[in-house]
Amino acid sequence: MRTLGAVALVFLSLLAFSGPRLLAQATPIQVTQRIEALSLPHEAEIVSAFQMGLSQGRLSADDTLSLVERLGATGGSRFDQDAILLTIAHALENNLPVTTLQTKAAEGLARGVPLPVIAQDLALRERLLAEVRDLLCSKNIFRAKDGSPAVSPALPGPRFDLLVTHIADSLGDYLDGGGSPRDGYAMLAEVTKRLNLLKGSVIPASDVELVLSRIEATDLTRTVLEALNQKQN
Amino acid sequence: MNVDRLEEEIRDVLTEEVACHAFLLDGLEGRVATELTGRLPRRGPLDSLRRLLAPTRGARLGQLAVVGATAVVFLTVGVFLAGRPPFARETRLPGSLPLAAVAEAQAGNRVLFVMPAPNASSVAVLGTFNNWVPTPLAKNKDGIWTANLTLAPGRYEYAFVIDGRWLGQDPLADEYVRSFGEYNSVRYVGREGDGA
Repeated sequence: MRTLGAVALVFLSLLAFSGPRLLAQATPIQVTQRIEALSLPHEAEIVSAFQMGLSQGRLSADDTLSLVERLGATGGSRFDQDAILLTIAHALENNLPVTTLQTKAAEGLARGVPLPVIAQDLALRERLLAEVRDLLCSKNIFRAKDGSPAVSPALPGPRFDLLVTHIADSLGDYLDGGGSPRDGYAMLAEVTKRLNLLKGSVIPASDVELVLSRIEATDLTRTVLEALNQKQN
Repeated sequence: MNVDRLEEEIRDVLTEEVACHAFLLDGLEGRVATELTGRLPRRGPLDSLRRLLAPTRGARLGQLAVVGATAVVFLTVGVFLAGRPPFARETRLPGSLPLAAVAEAQAGNRVLFVMPAPNASSVAVLGTFNNWVPTPLAKNKDGIWTANLTLAPGRYEYAFVIDGRWLGQDPLADEYVRSFGEYNSVRYVGREGDGA
């Protein structure tokens, strides 16, 4: 009996230290239920987009459930909660990579940043993602359709998304750091540094070289100003 | 005697020699030397010290000896105060984790998070690798908190939380970025050329 008790204690300790993920894997249904519990103004649109993202593997059920739960726990305005989830939903609908938006929202919530500030930051980053994707397309760097063979300069989806994610993220970080959106050379330096640090290990070297050979400082100035202008409108 | 005046002095002595001794070559050199020596001012203790420190070859040796002796005195006092000789000390990070241990803990895609905080009761690291959910660090006997995580190659932003206070600038970070008006540390895992 004593042995059984000890084994149970060890098992429970392991569960406690492993965190909630070992206890249960989140499911898309749970994510939907949590979103519905928030009674958001754009609930239907958000649920639909999140279900699509989950089914396509672009969202992780665990991380999404965690984000929605943390958002609900803030006790903030449901309109602000709605704005945050709606930005991610729009990115999903527009076929943009959403990893940085999710982690940015999670960081803001962990830091206790006011919800309107998080929503504002996410909105800018979503615009940057869209503008960077458009920039790459204007430079004849495309995302290959899922399932079709990658023919240069059409890159497989995940590789194209990595480029969009890291270029947009480095521009967003540059702006958050107080950088001027008119200083294209400074932005190009930031983007070049970021891509070179990830070259080979995360982003294929050929993709980095392709992008860096085609974008210029003026392209980035135009891209960032577009994103900022659309954010203001 | 000023060196610039030496030639003039020698000329004076030679003039006197010609006048007094009808310029006898025999013993001339000795007599000039004696006369010049007599004209030299007497040296006091300060002059001796000045001469020791003067920038002549011999004096430079003296200078070096003084500097060397001072260094030895300072080293001896330093070793005495530190309790052990400096060359016996391990190379350590601030907060005293041996660098060798740090290097081993960061081999491959392993990332070591270190925070010296002897008086803290809880330290956690959170970032993009754990969806900003705190991962607790473990404290060693020296008050150094560590967590050794294995991460996929990539770029990770993170910050420490020490007793509820956020600290975004880790000395071991590859770079820092501003986020929501605060600093985040950044690590690149599996970079090319890192041997990962």
